[in-house]
Amino acid sequence: MLQRIASGDPVAVRECIDQFGPLVWSLARRLSRTPSDAEDATQEIFLDIWRSAGRFDASQGSDKVFIAMIARRRLIDRLRKTSAEPPMDPVEVLETIAWSDPGTASEISIEAEQAAKALAELRPEQRQVLELGLLHGLSQSEIAARLSMPLGTVKSFMRRGLIKVREYMNVDAEGILSEG
Amino acid sequence: MSETRPSDQPDEAMVDLLIKQVTEGLSPAEQRALDVLDSELASTYARDLERAAAALTLAGSSKGPPLPAALAQRLAQQAAEHFASRDQGADPRVADPGKVSDQRKVSDAEKAADSGKVADLGEARSAAADRARAQLSAAPRTTRNGAYGWLAAAACLVLAIIGWLRSPAPGVVPVANVPTPPRVEAPPIAPPALPTAEEERAALLANPNALKITLGATKDPAAAGVSGDVVWDSATQRGFLHFAGLAANDPAVHQYQIWIFDAARDKRYPVDAGVFDVPANAAEVVIPIRATLMVHKPAAFAVTVEKPGGVVVSGLEHVVALGKTG
Repeated sequence: MLQRIASGDPVAVRECIDQFGPLVWSLARRLSRTPSDAEDATQEIFLDIWRSAGRFDASQGSDKVFIAMIARRRLIDRLRKTSAEPPMDPVEVLETIAWSDPGTASEISIEAEQAAKALAELRPEQRQVLELGLLHGLSQSEIAARLSMPLGTVKSFMRRGLIKVREYMNVDAEGILSEG
Repeated sequence: MSETRPSDQPDEAMVDLLIKQVTEGLSPAEQRALDVLDSELASTYARDLERAAAALTLAGSSKGPPLPAALAQRLAQQAAEHFASRDQGADPRVADPGKVSDQRKVSDAEKAADSGKVADLGEARSAAADRARAQLSAAPRTTRNGAYGWLAAAACLVLAIIGWLRSPAPGVVPVANVPTPPRVEAPPIAPPALPTAEEERAALLANPNALKITLGATKDPAAAGVSGDVVWDSATQRGFLHFAGLAANDPAVHQYQIWIFDAARDKRYPVDAGVFDVPANAAEVVIPIRATLMVHKPAAFAVTVEKPGGVVVSGLEHVVALGKTG
């Protein structure tokens, strides 16, 4: 689909909006300060997707991870600009956030399944730090304040979680390469 | 799980900066510090961490509310605008001075995308990113700024975009109508009528390569009297369900959900293809199929009754229609 988008195929564009719109919208709502910001962010993210679709390399990961990476970059960029502003009222974000379980996350993407497996090996407080940082967009300092936890501990938990997922993804990639 | 060899690991300070970069972004001072430490190893590590963060984000993604229709329409218009301008060799934002500020605020993320390093945040780090941040801080905050200038540019692009919209094969829905800026009252230009789902289905039925199968009712009580069919085109991953006799549902109580069993995937986890409602007194309905994952070898299509919003994995307790290929 992304290759077709790069060639300007309007059908692929519509499919992309249909398929990834809910994901991008969900992330934008979570990681934006206001509903209006979420709409602006969604438009910017999709413009990024149109501009970079031709560079998608399936050997580097799924299209969902590609889209999620683009979305995260844009949203982090925007959050930094608006960090002094109050966050969105939690009531505005109605959906419940919960980690997918290993076995079911494979329906989202292979990378989500790898992440779910890695999460299963972490302690609850480590998962909580990852949730606040990656899913709710809190900075490490904000997480430390929210959880009354030393900043060094937050950094340690964040590092451990990301490295654990990275290990799973790299090991799986090595396994696939060796099988090939 | 094997640990990465120490020689493959950047030092602790670099890892801290790289993690902060992919989770919350860096201050200009931190960015400069990272640039000093920059290396191929850091770039590789940054890319891996960014992929890990994206994977975790996906693992934590939930079924939220659908994309608002008005926003989806704006996205389609924006895409039409972008590709029409690109095909003419111009960037719409450059064409309009009122959009220059918007172009500036497309900073780190866009520079990374444009640099061809979407999958590599590490390589996207550069002094230019700092300059972009400086521009960002001076840029107006919302896309509404410069909207009137944008209107003028949009009017100039109408013909090009209409040409772009007419490029699909017959029967294909055009992506957008006439370009309008975000959340700004557009001039009263009547958009061309979009094909209905019924018209799109008819066009797909005429496609000799499309898969056509009959849906049968199951023994589920809710399936009594149900009949229907599926048309599906694997090349475009598009299709439609057509039903008669399917009972109306109350969306606040339950919704129908479409599933595609892919022979190339684990049969326990059919691909979610969207939820839909049947209004009261609807003799027949045509429902677009929106597969959330690529379907390689469609083996069967099913419709279940699920809670509002649908489910990620269905227990398949209430299957009201089923059709198998072959």
